[in-house]
Amino acid sequence: MTGYWGGVVWGLGAGVLVGISTILGVWGERKVAGHIQKRYGPNTAPVFGIFQLVYDLLKLLTKEDIHPKQARRGLFNIAPLFMTTPIISSLVIIPFAAGWAPLDTSIGILFFLAVPSISVLGVLFAGWSQRNTYASLGGLRGAAQMISYEVPRSLSVLAVVMLAGTMQPVTLMGEWRIWWLPVTLIAFVVYFIASIAELNRGPFDLAECDSELVGGYFTDYSGIRWAMFMMSEYGGMTAAALFGSVVFLGGTWPLSGVLGVLVLLVKTVLLVIAFMWAKWTFPRMRPDQLMATSWKVLTPMALVQIVIVGVVIAWL
Amino acid sequence: MAVDDVDTPEIDTGESSEPKVTQGTVSAATTDQAGVAGFVGAWKSLATGLGITAKHAFTKPVTIQYPREKAPMPERWRGAPRLVSAMGTTEVPLMEASSLEYNGLIADAYATDHLAPCQGNCPANVDARGQNYHAAEGRWVEAYQLVRERNIMPGTLGRICHHPCETACKRNFYDEPIAIRPLHRVAYEQWNPVKAQYVKPLPKTRGKKVAIIGSGPSGLAAAYDLVKLGYEVKIFEKEDKPGGALYYGIPAYRLPRDILHGEIDDLVTMGVEIQCSTKIGVDISPEQLMADYDAIIIAAGLQISRFPGVKGQDAIGVRGALDFLKDSNYRGEAGVRGQNVLVIGGGNVAVDAARCALRVGAKTVYMASLESDEQLPAHPWEVEEALDEGVVMMCGNGPNEVLVDESNHVRGMRLQTCLSVFDETGRFNPTFGDDFTELSVQSVVMAIGQGSDLKDIVAGTGLELDQRGNLPSDRSVFTTAVPKIFASGECVTGPGSAIASIATGHEAATSVHRFLSGESVSDDRVARTLLAYDKYAPANLDHVEPSRLRAVMPFSDPDERSKDFRNVELGLTVEEGLAEGARCLRCETNICVGCTFCARTCPDYCITVERRDDPGDRMVTKYDLDLSKCCFCGLCAEQCPTGALQMSGQYELSFYNRDLTLFDKGEMLRDVSGTRATGADAAADHASKGETT
Repeated sequence: MTGYWGGVVWGLGAGVLVGISTILGVWGERKVAGHIQKRYGPNTAPVFGIFQLVYDLLKLLTKEDIHPKQARRGLFNIAPLFMTTPIISSLVIIPFAAGWAPLDTSIGILFFLAVPSISVLGVLFAGWSQRNTYASLGGLRGAAQMISYEVPRSLSVLAVVMLAGTMQPVTLMGEWRIWWLPVTLIAFVVYFIASIAELNRGPFDLAECDSELVGGYFTDYSGIRWAMFMMSEYGGMTAAALFGSVVFLGGTWPLSGVLGVLVLLVKTVLLVIAFMWAKWTFPRMRPDQLMATSWKVLTPMALVQIVIVGVVIAWL
Repeated sequence: MAVDDVDTPEIDTGESSEPKVTQGTVSAATTDQAGVAGFVGAWKSLATGLGITAKHAFTKPVTIQYPREKAPMPERWRGAPRLVSAMGTTEVPLMEASSLEYNGLIADAYATDHLAPCQGNCPANVDARGQNYHAAEGRWVEAYQLVRERNIMPGTLGRICHHPCETACKRNFYDEPIAIRPLHRVAYEQWNPVKAQYVKPLPKTRGKKVAIIGSGPSGLAAAYDLVKLGYEVKIFEKEDKPGGALYYGIPAYRLPRDILHGEIDDLVTMGVEIQCSTKIGVDISPEQLMADYDAIIIAAGLQISRFPGVKGQDAIGVRGALDFLKDSNYRGEAGVRGQNVLVIGGGNVAVDAARCALRVGAKTVYMASLESDEQLPAHPWEVEEALDEGVVMMCGNGPNEVLVDESNHVRGMRLQTCLSVFDETGRFNPTFGDDFTELSVQSVVMAIGQGSDLKDIVAGTGLELDQRGNLPSDRSVFTTAVPKIFASGECVTGPGSAIASIATGHEAATSVHRFLSGESVSDDRVARTLLAYDKYAPANLDHVEPSRLRAVMPFSDPDERSKDFRNVELGLTVEEGLAEGARCLRCETNICVGCTFCARTCPDYCITVERRDDPGDRMVTKYDLDLSKCCFCGLCAEQCPTGALQMSGQYELSFYNRDLTLFDKGEMLRDVSGTRATGADAAADHASKGETT
């Protein structure tokens, strides 16, 4: 029973974390995009424009809940939950401090790679339930893309797991050494790119591409349900950045305790900014380029990395 | 590599952007190459792109950072239309309240400061809306008494007033104005038989005496106010009958003498003392008046006719309009029987003189005015009546010379065409053309203006007249150079209307009361309202139902009436008066009267009004405002005469349910037995769907 209540508490905590990261993420995204385009971004609302997002959130919360007449209401209603719940769940294995994670399990790495993938279902449900061509197309695109990029992403993490000899995130973070960074650099790059694709963000945002599919799999969503899609995007980005910091950048290294947590946060924020940087730099890819990048570039790179790590382990 | 760029941002400082971009394009070209070179080239181009955007991120933005400011609400903001009040509620369900309750609400609204256009445009602020309200209910005595508060002689003014109230009446905008002036007359005719029980002597409580010189409208108004306040008032009149210009100037065919003197008798009954045939400066010296009375009001009016200064104007047969009118009205004989008469002037006095000339036996009456027929200063309805009776108008002709025979009698008049009357600065400065007309007439009446003759009155009081013979005085509080002497009426304002003179009388009385009470005459005194009201274009009455039109005033036959001094206007019947009172829109009361003009104006047909319109039982019973069809144009609120329908300050869509924003045939064709008057709350919505709350 304590496990049940612990899950509830950590789920709520992670939900709040995702909510905050969404507000700060949207604000940060608009700021980064603005400055890259030599604009200011939100600046008139209080606190450097952060309240702009609070206003937006209030608006979204109070908007009318609209259902398209032809939609399958059941699927339509639960699809956003399939998007956000896996993201929130996956945060439970992240070691937020040195030697501690909410759920310290020996298969934590596998858990993180497996659970967020369930959101593929959310994309498919959303795309299908709206009975809308744009949405269906977006949903199929999104599902294909997410499944494809699972492969290089998992392979890239495998390199670090080989070095550490464990799939327990807490142990892995404790084992991490600074010389791992140059050795696993290729894996990190592959992880970074594959994560962008997993999150359906630019330049891999084929699933939602606003200019052609009008939002893709969430075309007909509005109000709080639409906000849940945004939460899954920004929460997913935060989760991917946290996981990347822990696995590839040493998490709280070189400090421990509260300062270590701050170090982890700084690394996470820098990674999130890098995600945004990439989005606002590169144009959207074609579907064939997308698939080619996955199978012809990233997967071979990840395999090469595994060979390198194998050689290093043998050499040690 | 991408991630390195994040952690080590040297990339944007390393090289200038120019070669970077070039390198990027070259690299892009090499990405098609197979093998290691293509692979490395692709990654280099990615790094180049990231470098360019990073560099942008750290340069100063080119856009402007606007200061934070709160957006103000635009002045003409339009939210949803909203019915403020009908039966005192914003929700308008099916109303079954009694008409009495409704009338009570209307009566309450009258107590507030919502000035109706008719009242605001009247110089004396006569409550015409209140009169109509009483008239519609058949309470003629109340109507008469209400009007008399500001217009001391409703019966008299009900026949002669130039009714600026009807000009401002909002009903002009829809069809025709309310017949406010004829209603005064109807009210008087109903009041007159029963007035004995209402007209009683008023107590004299103040112990102070006020003398008023002149018993014209201004003097009588001042006397009435002062008597009501408890002063002892005595009016000195130089003629042998009171009434001033009303008696001597206005012909009996417009104002029967018994009406005028009946109303003056009422004032006498209430306590005004009138001493006729007493000329100040001849029979009583001004000094004695100063000694005997605590305050004096000079309301002597205008006694002398002005002459244009043309050759031959002192010939026998040329006279001023005031003398001519006095002779015609007073004696019924002006010595023009069988003659051709020419009246010079274009004002109301000239029209009166011309019409009187017909009635005292003139063969042909000409009327020559400087102004063209478009610009005649006389009221158009009087000109029309004069033309009906056979007066020959010669507009645009000025006097040039009076032609005389050997015995200095008038034998004709030479007229000269007038090109313009006023110069660029708006001053009276006529320019004449070269065309001359000679008329063979035996009498010429000069009606070009009047002046005052106050020499005898002011002698010895300390007052001095200016060069033109006018008495210098204040035109808002009507004081003069001597503290206890006040002046009002046309001797202060110049020629004007009877109701304007009455207004000055009221003001002068207020000044006298303040003076005698020891207060400052002008401090804290609220100026009378002088609002600007809409000018209305002539209404198109093509499709207006007869029941909505103004009651038509019956006239006596022009050919018959021009031979004697019988009444021209015959007056409305009581039934017509009741209907006329019910036409009143109760302007500015903020209570819906169910006039249905909003429904008629609405381009989207979203307003449905139902009402009971029977005299005595007049109220709105249903008001349906379908906001799902409303386009927020605001026309309904713009034209609402009562101000009950307003545009609310709500955000346009703040009240909408989603189903209301979609066109729903069933909803649009629904039976409007339920009402949805406002978007202000959900209760009305529920009511419209038949749900009870």
